[in-house]
Amino acid sequence: MISSLPPLAAAGPILVAATLLALGRHLPGRVPDVIAIVAALAVAALGALMAFRAGDGVLLHWFGGWSPREGMPIGIAFQADVAGSVMVALVGILFVASFVFAWGFFEEVGVQFHVLMLVFMAAMCGFCLTRDLFNLFVWFEVMSVAAFALTAYRLEASALEGALNFTVTNSLGSMMMLAGIGLLYARLGRLDMLALGEEAAKAAGDPVIPGAFCLLAAALLIKGATVPFHLWLADAHAVAPSPVSMVFSGGMVAMGVFGLARLTWTVFAPVEAVTEALHAVVLWLGAATSVLGGMLCLGQRHVKRMLAFSTISHTGILLMGVALLSADGLAGTLTYLVGHGLVKAALFALAGVLMARLGGIDEIGLRGRGREIWPARIAFAAGGLLLAGLPVGLMEEGATLLDAAAGAESFRWVILAVPIGAGLTGAAVLRAAGRIFLGWGKVDGEEEGAPSEQEAEKANRPLPLMLAPVAVLLLLASAVPGHLAEEAAQHAASAMMQPGIVPAPVSPGEVPERLPLGWMSLSLALLVAGWHLGRHHLPAILSNGVQALTAPVFAGLERLHSGVTGDELVWILAGLALLSLGLWLA
Amino acid sequence: MSRRARGILAAIAALALAPGALAVVRAMPPLGDHPLPYGDAVNRVAPAERAVSNMVTAVNFDLRGFDTLGEEVMLLAAVVGAVVVLRGARGEGVGDRPARCGSRPIPPRSDAVVLLCRMTAPLTLIYGLYVVLHAALTPGGGFQGGAIIGSGLVLVWLGEGYNAWRRMVPGVVLHALEGGGAGLYALAGFGAMLTGAAYLANMLPLGDWGSILSGGMIPVVNFGVGLAVSGAFGMLFLEFLEETREPEKGEEQ
Repeated sequence: MISSLPPLAAAGPILVAATLLALGRHLPGRVPDVIAIVAALAVAALGALMAFRAGDGVLLHWFGGWSPREGMPIGIAFQADVAGSVMVALVGILFVASFVFAWGFFEEVGVQFHVLMLVFMAAMCGFCLTRDLFNLFVWFEVMSVAAFALTAYRLEASALEGALNFTVTNSLGSMMMLAGIGLLYARLGRLDMLALGEEAAKAAGDPVIPGAFCLLAAALLIKGATVPFHLWLADAHAVAPSPVSMVFSGGMVAMGVFGLARLTWTVFAPVEAVTEALHAVVLWLGAATSVLGGMLCLGQRHVKRMLAFSTISHTGILLMGVALLSADGLAGTLTYLVGHGLVKAALFALAGVLMARLGGIDEIGLRGRGREIWPARIAFAAGGLLLAGLPVGLMEEGATLLDAAAGAESFRWVILAVPIGAGLTGAAVLRAAGRIFLGWGKVDGEEEGAPSEQEAEKANRPLPLMLAPVAVLLLLASAVPGHLAEEAAQHAASAMMQPGIVPAPVSPGEVPERLPLGWMSLSLALLVAGWHLGRHHLPAILSNGVQALTAPVFAGLERLHSGVTGDELVWILAGLALLSLGLWLA
Repeated sequence: MSRRARGILAAIAALALAPGALAVVRAMPPLGDHPLPYGDAVNRVAPAERAVSNMVTAVNFDLRGFDTLGEEVMLLAAVVGAVVVLRGARGEGVGDRPARCGSRPIPPRSDAVVLLCRMTAPLTLIYGLYVVLHAALTPGGGFQGGAIIGSGLVLVWLGEGYNAWRRMVPGVVLHALEGGGAGLYALAGFGAMLTGAAYLANMLPLGDWGSILSGGMIPVVNFGVGLAVSGAFGMLFLEFLEETREPEKGEEQ
C-alpha cells in the first residue's frame, strides 16, 4: 500500500543534520546532543511503526510521485517490508544508545560529530528501505563516507592507519558494486530491483547476470567482513571511538549481509546459476568466517580488537542463514542479526567504559583493575554469555531457526560452525571479564603475542549514562519472548522472499532432528574460558603441552592479519576469484 | 605477506577471474546498441511533464531526485569528515593571519596576479551562478556551478591574500551554505508531503519550455545543491589552506 512513512526514515535525519550544520556553534551546550538523541528515538519509533503496519502488506513510496509508466519503473521507490522496517528500528536503537553513551565525548568537534552520525543513520535506513539498485548504492556510499571520517576521528597513527585501510578496501568494494550495477543496467535496462528480478528471470543463461552478482556480492561481503574480504574490519573497528564502534559492529556490518539477502531474494532468486553458487560457495565462506573469526577473537588481548573479530565470526553465522536459501534460514539470520547487533553494541560500550574509567583496553594490563566498576562486570559477563549462546532471547532463537534450516541440507553438519564461532567468541569475552574484573587468569595464553596498545578515551563522563544504554541493549536482546520473535521473523522472511523462488520444502513426515546449538556453544565457551582463566591450577605439562600445539596456529593466523593495505587488497581479489570460480563451476 | 607472495596470489586470482570476465565481456551488448528503455522513457516523459530541455537535469533533480539528495549528503559528509580529520589536530579556533609554514617566506603577490584575479574572480563567480541557474536548460546545474563558484573563492585568496580571504569568506557562512543547501533540498521534499503528495513531488507551476524558471521544483532543489556545493568546496579550500599554516603563539593549537 502507498504510504508516506518510509521517506521519513532517511530524509528526516538528513534534514536534522543539515540544520545542525547550518546553525553550528550558535546552538548552546548540550542542545545538539539532545536533538540527535530525539532524532534517533524518532527513527526507532518510526521503524517499529512501519514494521507493525507492514504486517498487512509492504509500505510503498514512489519519490516525486513517479510511479511506473506503462510497466516501466522510471522513479525511485522505498518499499518498507517487515524486515527492512525492523532493521530501521534496530538502527534507531543503536544510535540512541550510541548518542547517550557518547554524552560529552565529542565536545571538541562540536556539531560535526552529530552531523556525521545523523547522516550515517539516514544512510543505513535508506539502505534497508530502498527498492532501487542505484539508490542502494547511493546509501551504501554515504554510509562508507561517513564511516571513514568517524573512524579517523582520534587522529593517532593507529586510527589513521585503520581508517586508511578501511577507506581503500571499502572504496574498492564501492567500485565493484557500481560495476555490477552497470552490468545489470546495461543488460536489463532497469534499476528497480523488483523489475530487475522479473527481467533476470527472462534472461536465464546470460553470463552477464552471474557476472554482475559476483561483483555485487563481493562488495557486500567486504562490507559484511567475510573471509577473505574481512581483513579491514579488525583494524577499523578497533581504532574507531567506542560510540562509533557500537554502530559499526552492531549495524554497519550487518548491512552487508542484509543487502546480500535483499539482492538475492529480489533480483537473483530466479537465476539458477547464482543461487547454486551462493549455496555452494557462500555457505562455506560463512562457516569458515565463523570458525576463523572465533579463533582470531580468542587470540586477542586488545579488547576492542577482540570484539571486532567476534563481529567477523558472528557475521559468518548470519551469512550462512542467507546462503541456506530457505525461509527458516532467512528468518534465523534476521533474528540473529538483531540480537547480535544489540549485544555487540553493548559490549563495545563496555569496552568504552574500560577506556574511559580504567584508561586502558589491554586485557592483560588491566587484570584485576576493574573490581570497582562492578555493574560493568555483570554486564560484561552477561554480554559474553549471550554471545556464547545462552539459551534466552533473540540470538538463541535465531540459532534455532538456522539449525532448522540446516536440517534440510544434505550435509547438515555445516551448522556446527555456529556453536564453534559463538562458543569461541563467548569464551574470549568471558575470559576478558574474568581477568579484568576478577583478577583471574594469572598465566597468559596465546593472546599474549597479539598486538595491543595503551589507549584511553575521554574520562570524567557520567558512569550511569554510559551504563544505561548497555543495560537497555542487553535487556532488549535477552527479554524478547522467543515465540514472538520467531513468528515475526518467519513473517518478515517470507515477505522478503515473496518475488523469489519458492524454497524446497522439507518432505512431510521427516522432522529434522534439532541440535542443542545453544548448549553446545555455551559449554564450549565455559570450557575454553575456564581453561584460560584457571590453567595455572593445572599440571604444567598439560598446560604447556596444549600451548605448544595451539600457539603456532594462533601466531600464524595473527600474521595473516598484518594490517598492510596491499595484503588486504590481494585477499579481496582472491575472494572475488573464488566467487567467480564458484559461479562458473556451480 | 612478502611482496613476492602477494604477487603470486594476485596472479593466481587474476588467472582464476579471467574466464568469468571474458564470458561477461563477450556477452555485453555492442557499443552503441540501442535498446535503452529507460532513456527512451525519460525522453518521452520529461519535456512533456516537466517542460525542461536538459534531460540529465530532469533525471537528476526530478525523476531520480532522491538519489541526488543522497549524493549531496555524501559530499556534505565527505567535507565535514575532512574538516573533522584536519581540524582534529588543530582545534576549532582559527586565526586570520596569513599562511606560514615554518620559516618559509611569504612572497609578495605581483601586481599582475592581483589584477588578473580581480578580473577573473568576479567573472568566475558570476559564471558559476549562471551554470547553477540554467540547470533546466543547458548542461550544468548545481553540482557543476557550485564547483565553479568554489574555484572563484580560491581566486579571491590568490588575489587578495589570506587576511582578506578569511574576512570575506568566514567559515561560519560556509557551514551555513553547506547545511542550508542540503536542508533546502530535504525541506522541498517535505513541503510536497505536507500537501499530501509524495516526497519531492512537484508542487510548483512548470513554466514555459526554454525559460529559466521551467521545470517546477527543479530550480529550487537545484539551487539548494548549488549552495551546498559552493559552501562545501569553500570549506574544503579553507581547511586545506589552514593546514599549511603554522599557528602563531597564543593561537589555539
